[in-house]
Amino acid sequence: MTDFFVGEALIGEEPEIAHIDLIVGKKNGSVGIDFANSIAQPRMGHTPILGVIRPNIPAKPSTLIVPKVTIRSLEDAEKIFGPAQSAVAKAVADAVEEGIIPKEQAEEFVVIVSVFIHPRGKEYQRIYRYNYAATKLALRRAMENFPTIDKVLEEKDKAIHGMIGFRINNLKKPPYLEVALDIPDWRRVEGIIRTLPRSDAIIIEAGTPLIKRYGVEVVQKIHQLRPESVVIADLKTLDTGNLEARIAGDATADVVGFSGLAPIKTMEKFIEECKKIGALSLMDTLNVLDPVEILTKLKIKPDILELHRAIDVEHEEYAWGNIPEIRKLCGNALIAVAGGIRVKNVDAALKAGADIIVVGRAITAAKDIAGAARAFLQKMGVEEVDQFRVMTDF
Amino acid sequence: MSEREEEEEGVFHKKLKVKMKEKGKEGRIAFLKDYLDYLLRNDKTLPPDFPTFAREIMGLDERGGFIHIRVWHEKSELVEFSKAMGYGHKIDHYD
Repeated sequence: MTDFFVGEALIGEEPEIAHIDLIVGKKNGSVGIDFANSIAQPRMGHTPILGVIRPNIPAKPSTLIVPKVTIRSLEDAEKIFGPAQSAVAKAVADAVEEGIIPKEQAEEFVVIVSVFIHPRGKEYQRIYRYNYAATKLALRRAMENFPTIDKVLEEKDKAIHGMIGFRINNLKKPPYLEVALDIPDWRRVEGIIRTLPRSDAIIIEAGTPLIKRYGVEVVQKIHQLRPESVVIADLKTLDTGNLEARIAGDATADVVGFSGLAPIKTMEKFIEECKKIGALSLMDTLNVLDPVEILTKLKIKPDILELHRAIDVEHEEYAWGNIPEIRKLCGNALIAVAGGIRVKNVDAALKAGADIIVVGRAITAAKDIAGAARAFLQKMGVEEVDQFRVMTDF
Repeated sequence: MSEREEEEEGVFHKKLKVKMKEKGKEGRIAFLKDYLDYLLRNDKTLPPDFPTFAREIMGLDERGGFIHIRVWHEKSELVEFSKAMGYGHKIDHYD
């Protein structure tokens, strides 16, 4: 059996919102030792207190409440000693009554509950009810080992953290529409970004001319306007691979692009640096005669390969090169295709194996930018992440 | 403006006519200081074109106390700034 169980829950509305972290375990295990140490060594502003149903009736299993926010005034202390303390204790006792914690283990277990009370929280009714509900939910989750690792892996790319308001998109659900912003006029670019529909399937590319005009910091400004969007810094790096990748990463780029014409060593250093900074690397094959040959030479492969349409090709499925062969070499790499893509040849690009459709002026110079982008998305059959999910389980 | 209307708006440049609080060079400098103040106080990243924007503002003609700035969206940062900092302003479409 596991030595202890861990649970977490967030319930309610600000400023009384309750956030509970707790651990449940045996008195003669590590949680029991922590319980005893905590109560014997109180820290200023974070004094642990026992959860009591009412004075002189402590909860069972014995419960220690630890305030997360430093208690700086009597008013702060009253919220912990009043509504939070009784709510947590009642939730623990009810959890036993409801069978969440086995009654026969009520003496064997102890619970340590970390309680968040916002200093601006005033309404005792809300503090009580939110903390009661959050504690009971966290206990249930702890005893059921919620979430499973499969649930975590499923949710990690969908989740939006409440305090941040956006998710990191790791481009795990192609196809994507990459809107290339090559226009070196910031106010026009700002207008385009504000007009583009908000979709997880849209990637924004800070094009090379835009970056050359304003510097790679333009990426940060794009992220300020669209925090949820993946932003590519199309540097087309030819030298000093690690340095340029780091500079773009510092400017919050999610994807950083280098040229497939760079020396092999430069490309490898670039890709390695991208891995270090948590960005994806993109190899641009513009003017590269044989991308397969370059990829074969690379010891470490890029995350995205951008292929440009050859002008003189008879069959559209090979217009961007031999994508199946490239896939064999790059494993899970995403394939982006660029060059004169219109809505009418999206099907051909997807059929050829493209994951990312790169579009520039067909969107940015359209009279109806939002409409043009939507037409591409519709043709690509894009659905929003979680568009059809109803949050009922947690 | 509804979200739907906002999305449907085309990206054509517009004239943001901003009334200067003082005339002449001093008014432009005060305007730029206010803009910088607005950005910094609201934790907004500086627009990447700020150096060229400053040069542009200092060189614009003043028309009846207004300067005319090209913007590309009704909710561009410059429009939001003008509202927030109490600058008299209106938006006209270019002919």
